[in-house]
Amino acid sequence: MGRIGLSVLIVAAGFLYLPLVVLTVFSFNDSALMAFPLTGFTLDWYRELGQNDNFLKGFVTSFLIAQPVGVLAMLLGLMASLALTAPGFRWRGLFAILLLVPFLVPKSVLSIAQAMIMSRIGFERGATALILAQSLVALPFATALISAVMVRFDGRLIEAARDLGASPWQAFLRVLLPQLRPALSGAYSVGVILSLADLTIAMFLAGRTQPLSLMVASEFRRELRPDLNAMQVVVLALTAVLVSLSEVYRRRRLRKLASEA
Amino acid sequence: MTFRQRHLALPVAVAIVAGCLAPLAVLVAFSFYEVEDFDLIPAFSFRAWGELATSGTDWFLIGKAVLSGLTTTVFTTILGYPVALALTRLAASAKGLAIIVLLTPLYTGEIVRIYAWRIVLGGEGLVNTVLQGIGLIDEPLKFLLFSPFTIGLVLTYNNLPFMVLAIWVSAEMVDRRLIEAARDLGARPIDAFSRVVFPLTTPGLAAGSLTVFALSAGELLTPSLLGGTSGATAMALVDNLFGTAFDWPLASALALALLATLFLVASAMAGLLLRLKGARAVIGRT
Repeated sequence: MGRIGLSVLIVAAGFLYLPLVVLTVFSFNDSALMAFPLTGFTLDWYRELGQNDNFLKGFVTSFLIAQPVGVLAMLLGLMASLALTAPGFRWRGLFAILLLVPFLVPKSVLSIAQAMIMSRIGFERGATALILAQSLVALPFATALISAVMVRFDGRLIEAARDLGASPWQAFLRVLLPQLRPALSGAYSVGVILSLADLTIAMFLAGRTQPLSLMVASEFRRELRPDLNAMQVVVLALTAVLVSLSEVYRRRRLRKLASEA
Repeated sequence: MTFRQRHLALPVAVAIVAGCLAPLAVLVAFSFYEVEDFDLIPAFSFRAWGELATSGTDWFLIGKAVLSGLTTTVFTTILGYPVALALTRLAASAKGLAIIVLLTPLYTGEIVRIYAWRIVLGGEGLVNTVLQGIGLIDEPLKFLLFSPFTIGLVLTYNNLPFMVLAIWVSAEMVDRRLIEAARDLGARPIDAFSRVVFPLTTPGLAAGSLTVFALSAGELLTPSLLGGTSGATAMALVDNLFGTAFDWPLASALALALLATLFLVASAMAGLLLRLKGARAVIGRT
């Protein structure tokens, strides 16, 4: 690793994290104005945030919507991956293209089209609509994560289990599933994270439901406020915790699998 | 018919058809409907398409979406290559960490990123303060925020990780001995890149370009929240026609025209990249 390579990586990381660092710094800055120079350290914005019932409600809403999105993305992604790697699947190419549709069609176009069809057939926009739409958007990511592990899986293990008298279901539960668990937890977290990160879909499909991102967006158009900074940092920190937890879990599973083998 | 593993594709396919393809098909139908007294009436009218065809603004906005997608693709390519190539040189143990570092900014909320850039680029933000501090400028730079520059910068920021990831995966598969051979035979690093590494990574570049183009051209939030007066987009107009003006036929026609144009440009771009010699060599081999 040369000096040039290292400096490229440092500059790139700096660019990617610069906005997030600035955001965090100002959430602890003792001034209502978001301007340099910094004036001092304070936790007031976090205290204010804790007393704001609206934000807390929005946060709970976002959290409750994100859970089913994670589960649905994981289940659909598992089914899609099993189908993609199934022997003798004639429509594999077509199915793979179909899986890319929610990823390649801009979210804005998709959500407007979904909003139109829903209001036409009388399906009320709200939490359910939001959960379904976000799960579809998370599906390509979940499938990619699970398939990446699945293609490396040795199919002979399943055959061995079957030869030893296991039913297909038993072979799946006791041979394949334990191997997939890290990928499944990754798929679940991606669903949760994409749901928490989303604003575009929520703008069109949330109806009267008010997830956090919508609240922030409507505040944002009016003014920048330090307690909003604090809230963004809290959301950021929670996301980071989620990512690290699933990564730690994944590594531990891998190590356990390696030691068993 | 007994149950087979491949049959699991069915429920997933149904979900995507019902959730994505059906709404898009309904857009096609709606684009021929008529509107009377705020009610959508089934018809076979070319009113919306006619209005779209003769509207200079609509086509200007569609062209702008294409341009914004292409610019973002070019910028992320230029920035993405050095980063991706540097990543291939990392020790295997550091690569896992590098993936997390690369992907975490993607996980931050859309609104969080937009919000943060507003603080960085504002009149009294980080960039202006630093530039003034070192005496490079006297007055805060106004063009940093609410301008085409802002849109380009933030779209590049949002999409860079996707491009890096795509090129990185491709670059990892390039046989290092090929590069060493080129160097041994007297190629300068720049030649080794342009004649060995770049041709062999064009499949990754094609995948990355397709992704970045699709994600950035249709983006609605960044231009409308950070673009100021230059932030008008085709999607914002669709949103307006849909929500405020209640002209669903025109909204549908415009959304479809945008989608079709993006699709054509994206396929042309990916097709061109994949026809390069290197891409054919890589794909032919596997």
